[in-house]
Amino acid sequence: MSPTLKKRLFLALAAVVVMSLAVPIGASFLQGFDVPYENHAYNGRFTFVRVKFEPTQWGRGPYQWGLDLKWNHDYPQAERNLMTILKHHTSISPNMGKSNIYALDDPELFRYPWAYLCEVGFWNPTKAEAESLRTYLLKGGFLVVDDFITEWQWFNYVEQMRKVMPDYQLVELDVSHPIFNSFFYIETLDFEHPTLPGYQPVYYGIFEDNDPKKRLMVIANYNHDIGDYWEWSGSGWVPIDISNEAFKLGVNYVVYGMTH
Amino acid sequence: MASWVESVFEFLFKYRPLLYERGEFSLGVSWPLILAGVVAVVLAVPTVLCYRDVRGKSSARDRLVLTGLRTAALLLVLFCLFRPSLSLSTVVPQRSFVGILLDDSRSMQIADVENEPRGRFIQDTFGPEGSALAKALSDKFIVRFFRFSETAQRLNDPAALTFAGARTHLARSLIRSAEELSNVPLAGLIVMSDGADNSNAAISDTLLELQARKVPVYTVGLGRERFTKDIEISRVEAPRSVLVGSSLIVDVTISQRGFNGETVRLDVEDDGRIVSSREVELSSEATTVRIHFTAADPGARIFRFRVATKEGEMVSQNNQRDQLIYVEDERPKILYFEGEPRYEVKFIRRAVADDENLQVVCLLRTAENKYYRIDIDDPEELASGFPKTREELFKYRGLILGSIEASHFTHDQLRMIADFVSQRGGGLLVLGGRLALSEGGYAGTPVADVLPVVLSPAKERSEAEELAGPAFFSTLTVKPTPFGATHPVTQFGPDLDASSERWATLPPLSTLNDVTAVKPGATTLLTGSGPGVDEQPVLVFQRYGRGKSIAFTVNDSWLWQMHHDMPLEDMTHELLWRKLLRWLVSYVPQQVSISAEKHRYAPGESVSLLAETDDDRFLKVNNAQVTATVRTPSGERFDVPMEWTVDKDGEYRGNFLPREKGIYEITVSAMRDGVELGTARAFTESQDLDDEYFQAEMRMALLERVAHETGGRFYTPDTVARLPEDMTYAEGGMTVREQHDLWDMPFIFLMLVGLVGSEWGYRKLRGLA
Repeated sequence: MSPTLKKRLFLALAAVVVMSLAVPIGASFLQGFDVPYENHAYNGRFTFVRVKFEPTQWGRGPYQWGLDLKWNHDYPQAERNLMTILKHHTSISPNMGKSNIYALDDPELFRYPWAYLCEVGFWNPTKAEAESLRTYLLKGGFLVVDDFITEWQWFNYVEQMRKVMPDYQLVELDVSHPIFNSFFYIETLDFEHPTLPGYQPVYYGIFEDNDPKKRLMVIANYNHDIGDYWEWSGSGWVPIDISNEAFKLGVNYVVYGMTH
Repeated sequence: MASWVESVFEFLFKYRPLLYERGEFSLGVSWPLILAGVVAVVLAVPTVLCYRDVRGKSSARDRLVLTGLRTAALLLVLFCLFRPSLSLSTVVPQRSFVGILLDDSRSMQIADVENEPRGRFIQDTFGPEGSALAKALSDKFIVRFFRFSETAQRLNDPAALTFAGARTHLARSLIRSAEELSNVPLAGLIVMSDGADNSNAAISDTLLELQARKVPVYTVGLGRERFTKDIEISRVEAPRSVLVGSSLIVDVTISQRGFNGETVRLDVEDDGRIVSSREVELSSEATTVRIHFTAADPGARIFRFRVATKEGEMVSQNNQRDQLIYVEDERPKILYFEGEPRYEVKFIRRAVADDENLQVVCLLRTAENKYYRIDIDDPEELASGFPKTREELFKYRGLILGSIEASHFTHDQLRMIADFVSQRGGGLLVLGGRLALSEGGYAGTPVADVLPVVLSPAKERSEAEELAGPAFFSTLTVKPTPFGATHPVTQFGPDLDASSERWATLPPLSTLNDVTAVKPGATTLLTGSGPGVDEQPVLVFQRYGRGKSIAFTVNDSWLWQMHHDMPLEDMTHELLWRKLLRWLVSYVPQQVSISAEKHRYAPGESVSLLAETDDDRFLKVNNAQVTATVRTPSGERFDVPMEWTVDKDGEYRGNFLPREKGIYEITVSAMRDGVELGTARAFTESQDLDDEYFQAEMRMALLERVAHETGGRFYTPDTVARLPEDMTYAEGGMTVREQHDLWDMPFIFLMLVGLVGSEWGYRKLRGLA
């Protein structure tokens, strides 16, 4: 066998091996991203819940499981750090080192009326997921939306949220809203995006009955990524002051979501 | 005694049993003659003994029998020779008085005897055409008539009776007529009535007084002792006041005669509008059912409970009852103190957010010495955390303690919470949670005494154990107890079946508290069971002092709102919390309270008011200036001074006489040293009462008791003909002693014939003649 033929055979074999590995992985993503994680049984304490979804784009990345699934950004360190802050600064006794991940149409999600959803620029919920989220919010659930920038991501969020809450409006919030004072007194919302300077965060809410005096059901941190601050707060990569502000927002979101 | 027995008795013994009861037995001969008789007997004995030895064909037994029969006959003749007699007090004709009390109440209009009203007997007896009874009475006595219902009044002509009295007060009427005839020789009182007394007054004292006065009462029972066909709303148990919008569950007792097994419809009407209905099967003589309705409109409301009249009923007026309920448009304030942010805060607040008659002020400890206040009235409210003084805490009518450990409070604050229930009369609701109940270290504290569940000392936990998870956790499938199934708070839906169905579909909750026992005086409404937990008390309450305490031992009632299996439109969670919190603050006294003794008075009946006053520490105030302002149905206002009763601290009483029919509004205000202690409002009604148509069967037991205990007799229209003669031999009035011979009574003659005949017959039988 000529060296050229050997080389061709080797490449063909390698291609078969790569394809045989890559196709199942891709198929598993397409079937619901069956990545390994463990949800902990409900025990009556506050548990951080991250919403998973089938993103419009995915690939390898520097995130959990070596994959960029969008919803797994900052997982699990962000929630672990936020729970530590909650434990030390508030009277909440959260489940430490335990956080859960649910799809929006998972019945178990309804045991946890506080949930975190990120990278909604790549969010495209199914009809079942959209209906389930709508029920979740109207029953009393509270959703924090984080980590999306630029207009196209904003428009995607608006479009997807219209599937969920077609009759509801997104209302820009200012610092006077009670959510910004539910635990920490936040004086300004003028932060910088942790990794993309120049983007000015804006906070949008969806209110019960479209009435800004009523319960806030969803808060979206547009042009912001407080999860990033939570994740990297202990690394020294992000300014402490702004990390603190991000934690303040997180704690306030939790306290507000549990009481309003 | 049956009348035929009495007739046989009278035939044999010449006189009726009554005369033997009242007379004294005596012999009509002098003692020397009796002595001579005894000597004669003594002499006869040896004679008999002589015959004993006579022989012949007779045996010893024959001689004994014949001697006995002959001796008995001789003794009977001897007894007659002694002239036995009955000594009786006998009324002197036309020298004694008799008072005849004629029932003039509405129940006498009931036509339950051969379709004739009960009053017809009175009209026939004492009408212009007269009767043998009336003649016999007037021949022997000087007759005085009285009409009676609420009280007794002299009556010149029985034809003037109208049978329109709204109430019957038998005891008062008896005393009133006895007093009026106290200066004349009174042979007795005759009461002609159905005995349907509805005064609720005890009659024992009256009967003792009549005994002491030696006034026998002869009662004549009119009407049926038992209706053949009737339906009656015999009892309605409803609160005197409720918060507007509250769901009421009222117990209604329906009595029936002749409709056993039939189904009727019970309606509740508010101002002519049916607000609730349910079918009721009349399975026994008295059936108690619960009916739900909502008090939707504020103010003094008259709710009517009604069953449609069925064919053949003897009384149709007793098929409905009215109940005056004050539907308060208030907003009682409840303090909810929660030790940590948790979902119960959010969902309880949401559940009652739209209830305009509940204000839940939330004090949330978000961190050590850091509080988040929600729905406060002013910036100063609860600014320094949980109240430190009684004045501050006692402003609230309800207190909810969430997951907050006992060590957060000072001992005085724990004592104050206990006093909030026992002294102030507030409602305390303790929720389950990580830092609640036993797990919160409440065992041994004053709060533990108040709670309806038994607490045990908290177990020490290390930091690692605490981080690992809760000390106790179990899911609980919750269901109502038999009592809870019909309790206003825990019954969902219009009836038990709908409620049971609802409970069966509710998802399980969870608890972080190991509660195993309830206090002896507590009542459990809900229990829960789950893995390793058998029948944990979930919702328990007890009265404690002036107030009540409730324990709701689950950690996450919000799952009944949020759980995936709960439909979005389901209102179970909201309803439960609204009803629970309304119940928490129901009947919680305010500093000043006012109530009328009854919710309904007859026209002309005095309204009795009772006010209670406390200071802001809920200590009784005896030196307050308390005034009740009455607003009449026509809008006129007048003040009623309220006086301290002296008998009881903080209690003031006053009276007023309603001059017109309708609803009266009573507003009371109390001042001390120029400072207002508070105001309160109540309602009562002056209206024609229909009590006469309830429990309207002839009450023979009462009439018999009145007669028996005073020395009289009970009669029916069939036996009343004997009344004049019976009264002739009474002790009362102007009487003389009369002797009535007994020697000639048929019984003695028959005995004598029997004895002599027996002797002859025996001799013939034995061949000794």
